[in-house]
Amino acid sequence: MEKVTYIGEHLWLGNLGNAFVVLSLISALASTVAYFFYSKETLTSEWKKFAGWCFTMHSFAVIGIAGTLFYGLFNHFYEYAYIHQHSNNSMPLQYIMSCFWEGQEGSFLLWTFWNVVLGNILRKTIDAKWEAPTMVMFSLVQIFLASMLLGVFIGDYKLGTNPFMLLRENPELANAPFLQMPNYLAKLDGRGLNPLLMNYWMTIHPPTLFLGFASTLVPFTFAISGLWKRDFTSWQKPALTWAFFSIAILGTGILMGGAWAYEALSFNGFWAWDPVENSSLVPWLVMVGAGHVMIINKNKGGSLFMTHLLSIASFMLVLYSTFLTRSGVLGTSSVHAFTDLGMQGQLVIYVLTFIFLCVILLIHDKLLRVSYIMLSLVMLAFGVIYGHKTVVLLSWIGISFVTTIYAYIKFFPKEEEEESLYSREFWMFVGSLVFLLSALVITYFTSIPVMNKLFNTEKAPIKIADYNMWMIPFSIIILILVGITQFFKYKKTDGNVFFKHIRISILLSIVFGLACVIPLYFLRDYEAAKGNEKWTLISYAILFIVGLFAVFANFEYWLRILKGKIRHAGSSIAHIGFAFILLGALISTSKRQTLSVNTSNKNVESLGKSFSAQKSLLLTLGDTLPMGNYMVTYTGRERKGIDVYYNTDYFTKGKNGQLEKAFSLTPMIQDNPRMGTASNPDTKHFLSNDIYTHIAYGLLSDPKEIKNDAYKEPTNFVGHIGDTIFADNAIILIENITTNVNEEQFAKNDSLLEVTAVLKATDVNGKVFYAKPKYILKENAVLPDNAELNELGLKFIFWKINPNEGSIEIQMSEKVNNSKDFIVLEAYMFPFINVLWLGCLIMVIGTVIAILERRRVNKIVKDSSTLS
Amino acid sequence: MKKIHILGIVVIAVAIGVIFTSLQSSATYSDFAEATSNPDTEYHVVGKLDKTVPVQYDPKINADECSFMMKDNKGIEKRVVLHKSVPQDFQKSEQIVLIGKMQGAEFHANDILMKCPSKYNDGKPQI
Repeated sequence: MEKVTYIGEHLWLGNLGNAFVVLSLISALASTVAYFFYSKETLTSEWKKFAGWCFTMHSFAVIGIAGTLFYGLFNHFYEYAYIHQHSNNSMPLQYIMSCFWEGQEGSFLLWTFWNVVLGNILRKTIDAKWEAPTMVMFSLVQIFLASMLLGVFIGDYKLGTNPFMLLRENPELANAPFLQMPNYLAKLDGRGLNPLLMNYWMTIHPPTLFLGFASTLVPFTFAISGLWKRDFTSWQKPALTWAFFSIAILGTGILMGGAWAYEALSFNGFWAWDPVENSSLVPWLVMVGAGHVMIINKNKGGSLFMTHLLSIASFMLVLYSTFLTRSGVLGTSSVHAFTDLGMQGQLVIYVLTFIFLCVILLIHDKLLRVSYIMLSLVMLAFGVIYGHKTVVLLSWIGISFVTTIYAYIKFFPKEEEEESLYSREFWMFVGSLVFLLSALVITYFTSIPVMNKLFNTEKAPIKIADYNMWMIPFSIIILILVGITQFFKYKKTDGNVFFKHIRISILLSIVFGLACVIPLYFLRDYEAAKGNEKWTLISYAILFIVGLFAVFANFEYWLRILKGKIRHAGSSIAHIGFAFILLGALISTSKRQTLSVNTSNKNVESLGKSFSAQKSLLLTLGDTLPMGNYMVTYTGRERKGIDVYYNTDYFTKGKNGQLEKAFSLTPMIQDNPRMGTASNPDTKHFLSNDIYTHIAYGLLSDPKEIKNDAYKEPTNFVGHIGDTIFADNAIILIENITTNVNEEQFAKNDSLLEVTAVLKATDVNGKVFYAKPKYILKENAVLPDNAELNELGLKFIFWKINPNEGSIEIQMSEKVNNSKDFIVLEAYMFPFINVLWLGCLIMVIGTVIAILERRRVNKIVKDSSTLS
Repeated sequence: MKKIHILGIVVIAVAIGVIFTSLQSSATYSDFAEATSNPDTEYHVVGKLDKTVPVQYDPKINADECSFMMKDNKGIEKRVVLHKSVPQDFQKSEQIVLIGKMQGAEFHANDILMKCPSKYNDGKPQI
């Protein structure tokens, strides 16, 4: 094939970008090696300077990659596949940011970028002792991330995917005709951001979430360094602030995702236990556990194994969730169906490498360490050469697990002294364990598609109800612990004092709790519940009461023990926020009310089928139907570009029984050219509840285009007096049949016979019209006389009499524009969902107060130690 | 015995409980033949919508019911009654997963998952 010389390409951008990619990889490698040597030497080493220089170089390269990609996005260089795929000419500025991280390459780049930011803060603020080992781990992770942007082939295996790949290098476009033209760029526009993602959530959610993911790396590097240097305690104090930073940011990121799902996507709620949601929640749960055992360690010492385990596990679970969500292994089980970019193998290798590293560092025996490494290598070689990957992988994980336990027993320092039941550290430890356990349960449930792959099974994903069933008991235990634990002192508490302090909170929560729970769950629901549902309601009630207890107890602790000082109240406030989140989630989910039960009077026929799960409401244009406490009417639709808005008005009954308009909602269906239609809900927020609606079914064509006065194909009806005919806009009753001749004359059949059907048509507003089509028989020829109802756009032809059956036949024609526009609406009421959002806010504020206070105290300690 | 050991035993008990119940309760992906032989069990049936037969959906009669033909992965075709409004873009679906039970000759599904082409990015540039 002749080589085409293309016009107008900006190849320098790709070359520059790729130079940065390569530089970032090499500098990360160099930085890892340099920090490794620095960690072996004394603190004033030449290596320190060189290592720092390497990491600066690496930071420069990562920022360079991002900058180059941004430059290309801003200037619409569509010769690059990534830019072509994610942006277009008509894109407003704020969405260019979103284009950057819409694709996988961009989101890995975002992750790398945050790692670089955090890495630089870490190495400037950290104690000299810990700089080298933590930065070795940091740089090692950066090697892995940088390699994901490489996009080079090693044999047949593609390592990473490159954001600077040219459009014409895409193998699927090898013979595309437009790429044979030298000036193909002149007319080319990008495909643009998926319109579903064009909202402000897409601008704020991914950066926050990825900062959260990046932040889990810091406690991880500390814990690994602790294992490595066999100094298990002194890293914990600096890591503590980082752990709570991670809790705050990752928590915010997750909740933003929930809010996005609730506000802009029709998931019917804020949390659906979707694998992608789960895989961001799990590292957070583990990090909360890690943060709390670090507090135990700081105040009392001990809990060493848990601090290491949880700090390491949180980041590993971030890696594992990246594998889950980015490798295509989830397939149909997730709405977030990210496509497979062929990085499955790569991601598995990264996860396994870090497990391998942790086990090696834990083993403090040369012989054992070497045997473990050799065994792993042999197994790797066996897997590569002979296959049986599942068996090899599982036995390796088993061996690593057993080795870890052995190494823990043999080489890890253990506490001699047993913790008292009346001590804060014991209950905090139990709480962290519950967090870890719940994280593992969620991970196990989410991993079913992975297990299907490993064991060739066909298990379907776990249902939302099962997730809830498991998580409610965990939440109950956690909330009780959140309530009681602060009232214990470290080491030993006087039991009588403890009960004296806490009894008011217990009493209040039981009294208030029962007062709420009985009307909420027991007055009506309990009677109607069957079998297991009764237990579910009881579990809701317990969760509610312990939720209140957690709020009261922390409030009381703040007022009585901390004397209301805001500076010390960080943890109490965060705990109250956490309890609010669970309470809000409980009430809004368990008392979610389906408003859109079918009340349309046209459905009388089908009621016989007894549908218990009615949840959608048919609304014809102009109809007003009762829905919950409102009357709702559909007033028409409008198309703006690819978005079709459906206007619905809500009315309440005024004092005089007249309808007063309360509010309007315009749920939307996006006629998305890239992924088909997507329903976008619209929600009315009140202080105490939300009215949430979305269109389950609606017509998309532009309503202005439909103007047709012609009649549709007629339909034939066979009936008697008293029968009804259903038209789109009216119900027609065959009220009477009259004739001009009596039976005697009819029998003779010698003259003109005229039979008139009296049809009574009632329209949707109850207005009555009469139509009188005639059947005329003249000399054995039927000459029907049509009747038209112009107001209703109906035409009737009375064309046959069946004397034997005593029935008549009428053809009815309806005008095309009679079939009125309609929508099928789903509407829910979420009570007290604001408690959930308020809880989020309170929890983040509390966590930030705690972090600031910790920093202040650390500074005072530092200052006083330098003074003395 | 230390308290930590008791905690350990509790953790292991929960772990076994989780694995046991999830293996018992969770449904498996299956086909119409198996669903027909166990009409009381809920199955996830994977297959393709038969696009040659029109989908029946009349919201005026029942907004929460639609009916169509689906061919499962073994090639058996059955009428399906889905107790939901007809999913948007149903005709574009490549693969569907139905969750429900067999009732007589019809499969009654309470829920549906669809795999549509080009969700997020499909890697195929269009001009």
